[in-house]
Amino acid sequence: MVPAELMVRATLLFSVIAFGGAAALVLAWAVQNGQFDNFTRAAEGIFDADEPIGQPTDRTLSAAAGERDA
Amino acid sequence: MREMKPNAVPTAEEMRRASLERVAIDASCRRAVLTWYASAVFWLLVGSTFALLASFKMHIPDWLTESGWLTFGRVRPAHLNTVAFGWGSMAGIASAIWMMARLGRVELKYGGLLVVAAMIWNIGIAVGAGGILLGHSTSIEWLEMPRPAPIILAVSLLIVSACIFVNFTRRRERHVYVSQWYILGAMFWMPMLYITAQWLCVELPARGVVQSAVNWWFAHNVLGLWVTPMGLATAYYLIPKVIGRPVYSYYLSIIGFWSLALFYSWAGMHHLVGGPMPAWMISASIVGSMMMLVPVGAVAVNHHFTMQGHFHELKHSPTLRFVVFGAMSYTVVSVQGAFESLRQFSEVAHFTHYTIAHAHLGMYGFFTMVMFGSGYYMIPRMTGREWASNWLIRLHFWSCALGIIMYFVTLTYGGWLQGLMLINPDVKFIEIVVKLTPYLHGRSMAGCLMTFGHVVFGLSLVLNLSGVGKRFGGGR
Repeated sequence: MVPAELMVRATLLFSVIAFGGAAALVLAWAVQNGQFDNFTRAAEGIFDADEPIGQPTDRTLSAAAGERDA
Repeated sequence: MREMKPNAVPTAEEMRRASLERVAIDASCRRAVLTWYASAVFWLLVGSTFALLASFKMHIPDWLTESGWLTFGRVRPAHLNTVAFGWGSMAGIASAIWMMARLGRVELKYGGLLVVAAMIWNIGIAVGAGGILLGHSTSIEWLEMPRPAPIILAVSLLIVSACIFVNFTRRRERHVYVSQWYILGAMFWMPMLYITAQWLCVELPARGVVQSAVNWWFAHNVLGLWVTPMGLATAYYLIPKVIGRPVYSYYLSIIGFWSLALFYSWAGMHHLVGGPMPAWMISASIVGSMMMLVPVGAVAVNHHFTMQGHFHELKHSPTLRFVVFGAMSYTVVSVQGAFESLRQFSEVAHFTHYTIAHAHLGMYGFFTMVMFGSGYYMIPRMTGREWASNWLIRLHFWSCALGIIMYFVTLTYGGWLQGLMLINPDVKFIEIVVKLTPYLHGRSMAGCLMTFGHVVFGLSLVLNLSGVGKRFGGGR
């Protein structure tokens, strides 16, 4: 086998191990770390006291804002 | 870590603290995000110009043929590289930087380094696009940029990924939101994809079947493991955030992410259906492509049911208009892409304008529209200024939305006719060329509409960055 072919095979093998291995490791970390334990809380994590659930945060085109064009 | 109790009424002090924290996080991202996003819009305008040149040349082949650098073979890859790596990647990175800071509830560190990375990236794109126009393209699709552009881009990409991972480890919110999963995935996958593909296809290079297999493994994964995760991360953050409603099923969103991670990297070889490849590789790739219906279904169901009962918000929010348009396009383009991978389907659609329409629905209808929405949300929070004119926003949305719809419909229909004629031995090639001309005119008209929208958006952005517009009042 010529060196170039060896390099190709080594690169492909490394890619497979790196892609697959990283995914397996991260999934294991996520399970151990409790990332999949509480889906309700996870979904609500993007809101806070100032921008709570039920509060739209972009009304740029609403009537009041539209007065800017006048 | 500060937790929110959903049913508790927050005190004024809690609200003030939350607001101050958010403003401080946005301020910490200001320089980095604005540099990446403004550069992205610059490349969008440059790339749109190349797109129009290439499109007009399809039906006016004698136009601008005196100079080598303006020939179709150079202008077309210059368009692809400036919009995919200039506009798309830079806008996606801007959104990713901002969302990772917000979702981690931590001010951005190494913002200066990210600005330097943006400068390096800009140099890389300029060198790469310039090299293509000068005739030094590698002629490998999606990897056309000649040396040293790929090295420059790889350095910048590694800096960006490192900064995002370091900032992630500093987060105060320990839970990883689905948008963070997508961004972390993209930041891990893309440097690996780019460096591996560059090494195997251009530098080493591998020859024959391996080279073409790696080429399409890379080209398709740029869409699926770089562009798609950043687009979906943005949609999963902005749709719930804008309407004030948590995502319909967080469980489904996680299924969507992990199934994308599992299946997408198989899909690239369906581009080589009919080519001199081992049949099992193509078959495995078709299976991977069909399995993509799982994450696509998860995302489609989630986005639709999150929006249900809140569609009236589209009247008020430019962000939502663009992002929802993008999310709907994602569903359409992904389902279409899965079936397009089938051998029987490819018999007609392969090597026709049908594929061009499909690619633009993905990169434009989905990703670009989501990135426009992201810009409309982020930029006022960075500059402290509202958008100068709602009229310009509406003009931008409708010209781009109608433009991409017209582009998709025209080329999908024209491309299918083209495919049917190409496989009919009784039809002369010149007849196909003549028959397709009206569809190519339609393509150019659609391109003009979209480019007009980009100029309008560029104007809005320049006005905003120049301080024109009311003081930002929180978007409410």
